[in-house]
Amino acid sequence: MSASVILALLGHLWRQHRRPLLVMTAAVTLFEFLTTRLAPAPEEVSWLSGLAALAPPHLVALAGGDVAFTSPGGVIALGYTHPFFLLLLGVWAVRVPSSALAGEIGRGTMDLLAGRPVTRSQLVIATFVGFALGLTLIVFAAWTATAIGLSLRPLGVTGGRFVGVGAMAWLLFASFGAVSVLISATAREAGHAIAWTSGVIATSFVVEYLARVWKPVAGLRPFSPFAYYRPQQIVTSGVAASDVTRLAALMAVAIVAAIVIFRNRDL
Amino acid sequence: MSAAAIETSGLTKRYGPINALQDVSLRVEPGEVFGFLGPNGAGKTTTVRLLLGLIAPTAGSALVLGRRVSPAAAISRREIGHLPGDIAFWPSMTGERTLDFLEHLSGRRAAWRQELLDRLQLARSDLARRVRTYSDGMKQKLGIVQAFQCEPRLVLLDEPTKGLDPLMQLAFYELLLDLNRRGTTIFFSSHVLPEVERVCHRVAMLRGGRLVSIDDVDQFRRSMPRRVLVHFREDLEAADLAAFGRVVASAARRVELLVAAERVPALVSRLATLPLQDLLIEPPRLEDAFLERYR
Repeated sequence: MSASVILALLGHLWRQHRRPLLVMTAAVTLFEFLTTRLAPAPEEVSWLSGLAALAPPHLVALAGGDVAFTSPGGVIALGYTHPFFLLLLGVWAVRVPSSALAGEIGRGTMDLLAGRPVTRSQLVIATFVGFALGLTLIVFAAWTATAIGLSLRPLGVTGGRFVGVGAMAWLLFASFGAVSVLISATAREAGHAIAWTSGVIATSFVVEYLARVWKPVAGLRPFSPFAYYRPQQIVTSGVAASDVTRLAALMAVAIVAAIVIFRNRDL
Repeated sequence: MSAAAIETSGLTKRYGPINALQDVSLRVEPGEVFGFLGPNGAGKTTTVRLLLGLIAPTAGSALVLGRRVSPAAAISRREIGHLPGDIAFWPSMTGERTLDFLEHLSGRRAAWRQELLDRLQLARSDLARRVRTYSDGMKQKLGIVQAFQCEPRLVLLDEPTKGLDPLMQLAFYELLLDLNRRGTTIFFSSHVLPEVERVCHRVAMLRGGRLVSIDDVDQFRRSMPRRVLVHFREDLEAADLAAFGRVVASAARRVELLVAAERVPALVSRLATLPLQDLLIEPPRLEDAFLERYR
């Protein structure tokens, strides 16, 4: 019973979001593939490093630090910190949870769902699982494009080095998605949930960036989930277990809070 | 005494300073068609939503089909059909997909769907269209089908005939009676008095969130005063008839009275001695009682 309800709810989410999901997946695939085509060859990297040395520090910080320009892998990892990639994943993290809980309430269709033998927990879990499956597809497509691009144009780095980058991109936005589910579980309109979640993601991004380039606010950095997403470092030295733990903890806390709040609120 | 289909005890819902529902205690027996009457804002929709566990009571409790209502008590909703007052669907879904999806969520087979579609004249071509193209009446029909299709033991209907044309209203009343004959309990919230009178066994009246009365519809009708319209051939003092009931309106030759059922024979005998031109005794209507209680 429980599994069939979750499957029915997942099918419902798929019908609502499949087109944007496929468009986002195609866009991310193309973008990451192009990154491998545009990345400098190993012999060109020194030229890029010299250019980076002349660039304003805040611009280098936005790219993820000097390491982004010292190897082809670092440059390709830029594709995973680029605003286009982050924006698409952010849109997905906002869109699905906001329309699933707050959106159903605002639209008036929540009564049809919650008036059936569906528990509130199932509604929250299905929302998160549906979002996470879509996120998996987008991130997997991004990594596949990188891997295919690197196999077609050897740059001294393999697609395998980007598995960790993709996994951490998934974890970062799964955490934001969980926060989005939490906000949606408290809201009555999709618009409110979208505004709040977008605000949280944008603020996190800005705080992390400012904390890197402006000493007075450097202490705020640990409060931004973006602080634990470092593609360039992952390519060179692998995934840090502490980053995984922190993002996973944020995701778990947000989902548990969403379930508790949604189970006890009036619809 | 068998378990009630619905039993509430001191059910109360407050939104800040607003008392949406106050201390409502009622019992609906299995197999009953129970009308829940009240003007807009009386608390009818709040009651239905409380019974489904969509909102939590501020005080009091409710049992539905023998189980305590709460948002977590999903299993009790397996045997409940629900038609919301302002029904909304997913605009990009077709009617058929909507019914399939809601059937899956119900966990019961939609054994009655085809018959409902036939009786409400929803064609297969209608169901193949997206809901966004539906008229209000078609959406209401789809709402009725989704509420009834899995043959629930209890249906909670909130203003169910909204948007239906008179012919469809008749078809709907027939459906209700058939469903009731199969043993389904029907909880019917409405402010359309004639339809409640037509289909309900008992009726509860709400006012400002409080339960004003619960009555058997037939007994209630029998206890109601009859409206008597008298037209005389010449001018008469209406006060002459005041001894038989309450004079509601009077003109030179016309008098309108509300007369208790047992006083009607005496009034007729008296009228026979007067220059009577026309006499109309209307059967009692729930509407009169409703207006009397809400005035």
